[in-house]
Amino acid sequence: MKRIMIDPAKCDGCKNCSVACMEAHRTDGGSGVYTLDLTDPNNISRNRIVSDGKGGYDPIFCRHCDVPDCAGACMSGALVKNMENGLVEYDEKKCAACYMCVMSCRYGVPAISPDRKRMIKCDFCAHLEEGPACVRACPKGAIEVKEVGEWSDM
Amino acid sequence: MNACYNCNTCPSADKPMEEYIRHLPRETSHHRVATQKTKCGFGLQGVCCRLCANGPCRITPDAPRGICGANADTIVARNFTRAVAAGSGCYIHIVENTARQLKNTGLSKGKIRSEKALDHLADLFGITGATDKWDLAVKVADAVLSDLYRPEYEPMELVEKLAYAPRVKRWKELGIMPGGAKGEVFNNVVKTSTNLSSDPVEMMTSCLRLGISTGVYGLMLTNLLNDVVLGDPEIRMAPVGMNVIDPDYINILITGHQHSLFTYIQDRLTDEDVVAKAKAAGAKGFKLVGCTCVGQDLQLRGAHYTEIFDGHAGNNYISEAVLSCGAIDAVLSEFNCTLPGIEPICDELKIKQICLDVVAKKANAEYIPYNFATREADGEKIIDEIIDAYKERRGKVPMNLFPDHGNKNTLTGVSEGSLKAFLGGSWKPLIDLIVSGKIKGIAGVVGCSSVAYGHDTLTVELTKELIKRDIIVLTAGCSSGGLENVGLMTPEAAELAGPNLKAVCKELGIPPVLNFGPCLAIGRLEIVATEIAAELGVDLPQLPLVLSAAQWLEEQAIADGAFALALGLPLHLGVPPFMTGSKLVTRILTEDMVSLTGGKVIIDPNGVSAADKLEAIIEEKRKALNI
Repeated sequence: MKRIMIDPAKCDGCKNCSVACMEAHRTDGGSGVYTLDLTDPNNISRNRIVSDGKGGYDPIFCRHCDVPDCAGACMSGALVKNMENGLVEYDEKKCAACYMCVMSCRYGVPAISPDRKRMIKCDFCAHLEEGPACVRACPKGAIEVKEVGEWSDM
Repeated sequence: MNACYNCNTCPSADKPMEEYIRHLPRETSHHRVATQKTKCGFGLQGVCCRLCANGPCRITPDAPRGICGANADTIVARNFTRAVAAGSGCYIHIVENTARQLKNTGLSKGKIRSEKALDHLADLFGITGATDKWDLAVKVADAVLSDLYRPEYEPMELVEKLAYAPRVKRWKELGIMPGGAKGEVFNNVVKTSTNLSSDPVEMMTSCLRLGISTGVYGLMLTNLLNDVVLGDPEIRMAPVGMNVIDPDYINILITGHQHSLFTYIQDRLTDEDVVAKAKAAGAKGFKLVGCTCVGQDLQLRGAHYTEIFDGHAGNNYISEAVLSCGAIDAVLSEFNCTLPGIEPICDELKIKQICLDVVAKKANAEYIPYNFATREADGEKIIDEIIDAYKERRGKVPMNLFPDHGNKNTLTGVSEGSLKAFLGGSWKPLIDLIVSGKIKGIAGVVGCSSVAYGHDTLTVELTKELIKRDIIVLTAGCSSGGLENVGLMTPEAAELAGPNLKAVCKELGIPPVLNFGPCLAIGRLEIVATEIAAELGVDLPQLPLVLSAAQWLEEQAIADGAFALALGLPLHLGVPPFMTGSKLVTRILTEDMVSLTGGKVIIDPNGVSAADKLEAIIEEKRKALNI
C-alpha cells in the first residue's frame, strides 16, 4: 500500500501541488497548465496549503486514513476503505450528497462540488499511471509517495 | 575530452552542438533546464501579483481576487503591460545611444560609412538646409532624439513620416499614436504600479502605443541610423558556427545590441600598431567573434569588416559553449543577451570581461563606460587589458575547439536595401513570384532563442515546415543564429523546400530562409512588408505575410510582439506570454485584436500544427487578394 507522506518543514507554499491536482482532475477536455481555468470552482484542488501561523506551511492532503472518519460517517456506502490498496475510494453513483463526510473529516479534506451533487476528495490520481500529480509537481520534496506495507502488517 | 559536468542537457535543434554542450566539464544554461523544470502554474498564467506587501497573491477558484480586489484580468494586464514597457525601454535605450553616436560622429566630423543611408533618412525626415554631411548627421540624430525626449502627452513627429500611411490612419482612429517614447515607458510603469490602473482594456491599448514607439524607433530607426555609421548590408556568403574561431588570434567575443559603441575599437584592432602589439604577445592579430544580436549585426554588415570579423558563432544560448572552447580571451559587452551564466566560465577560463554600458553590467566585469569624448584613451586601455588577458591565459587554460561546427556558406547581408537591389531594384519580381504562387507567402521567423522546451527546436521545426509549404522565411534575431547554424541559410537548404520554392531558390541561387540579422532587423522586415504593400496598394494586414516569434524569450520580444499586433499581422508564439490566467486579455490578444488592428496572437507549441495554422492564414489572405 502507498501513502502520500508530508514533510511540512520542506513546504514553501508555492501551491504547485494544488495546480497539479487541478490539472490532473480537469474535465474540460483541455490539457496543459496554460489553459487550466484557475478561477473555475469546478477545478477546485483536492489538496491545499495553509499557513501554520508561525511563518511556515501545512500541506493538507487526504491521508486515506486507516480508520477514516469520512467513510465511517458515510451512510450510503459511497465512501469505502479499500482493504487491498488502502485507499478511501468514492463512488459518485452511491452518493446521497449528505455531506456527513465533509462534517466528519478532522483534516477538512472533503469538499462540496459546485453543483452540490457530489463530494470531491483525493483519489490518489487513480487514472494516472505515474501516480499522484501533486507529488510529481512538488519542487521541494515536501510530499512523497511511500510504500507503507500491507494491511495485514498493521 | 574532459569528463562531463553531467549529461543531462536540454535537446537542441543543432545536434552537434547538443553533443558538444553535453560533454562540457562545466554547467551551462542547457544543464540548468532540468533543475528548473518545475514551473509555477500561477506564474505561467500571469496571475501571481507581487505589486505590494500584501502579496504575492495568486488566483485560485477559492481566491478569485487578490487582497486589494484585483481580479485575474487586472493582474495579467498589469504584469503584461509592465513587461511591454520594460521591453520598450530596452529598445529605446538602444536607439537613444545609436542616435547619440551618430550625433557625436557628426559633431566630430567622424567617419560616415554610408552617405546614401544618411540622405535616405534626411529624405524621410524632410530635413533640408544642412551645410555638409556631418551637419546633416547631427540634424538627423537630433530629429530622433527630440522625439524620444518628448513628454508622453506630445505625439512624436517621425511616426507619421516613417510608418505606412494606412496604418497611421488606423492608429489615429484607435487613439494609439505614441507620445515621446521615454515618456510612454515612464507612463506605463506608473500606470501598472500598486493600486493604479485596474482597467485591462486600457492597459492593452497602451501596449499597442508602446509597440509602435518600440517598432518605429527602437527597431526601424536603430537599423537606419547604424547604416550611416557602420555601412549598408551587402549580400554575401559567410561562415557561421564555432568553426569561425581561430585560436591563433586574440579573440574577443562581443555581446549586445549596440553595435555602434564598438566602432572605435573595431577600427583600431586592425591598425598596424595594434596588430604589432598582438604579434608581440604571440598572436597573429585580433579577431571579433560574434554572438547574440551584435554579432548578427556585424555579420549583416560583414562586407565592410572582413579583416576584423571572423564570423557569427551562434545565438545567446551558444555563448557559454563558445567561451568554453578556450580560444576566447575577452568578452566585450554592452547590452543583452549577456547571460549571467558566462561569469563562472569566464572566471574559470581567465577570460577578461569588460562592460561598456552600465545597464548590462555583469558582476565580474570591469566597467569602462562608453564615452564618445574619451573613446580613444578608453579604447587603448581596453585593448591593452585584452592583450594582458591573452598573455595571462593562453597555454594555461585547456582548449576544447569545435572546428567542424556550423558551415562556411551561409547567405548573409540581407536587408530591405540589399534584397531589393538583388531583385533588380524593384519588389516586382518577388511580388510576381507570390502572385503566381511559386512563393505561397512570406513568414518572418523572428525573435529569440530559448532553451526551456529545447534550444531552437521549435524555431527550426516550424521553419522547415513553412519552407516545405512553399512559404519563404525571413529571419531577424537569435532565431537567425539557430537557423544558420543548422544550415537552413545555405543554398543547399533549397532541397528542403517545397517544389515551387525550391525551383525559385535554385534559379536565384538563394536559400529558402533569408537572414536579416539581429532582432533589431524586425524593423527591416517591416520596411520590406510596407514597400510591398505600397506597391500593391493594400494595407499590411492584407498581405500573405505571417510572423512567428516561436521561441520568444524576453520582455523585448513582448514589446516587438506589440509592434507586430499594431501592424496588424498574425503573430505565432510557442508559449503564451503569461496571459492565459485572464480570459479577457487572452481574448483581446487572440481574437478581438483582429477588429482593432487586424493582428492576432496564435499560441502553438507544435511546429507542424503551427505551420498548418500560418499556412491557412496565408491562403485566406491570398484568396481575399484574388491571387
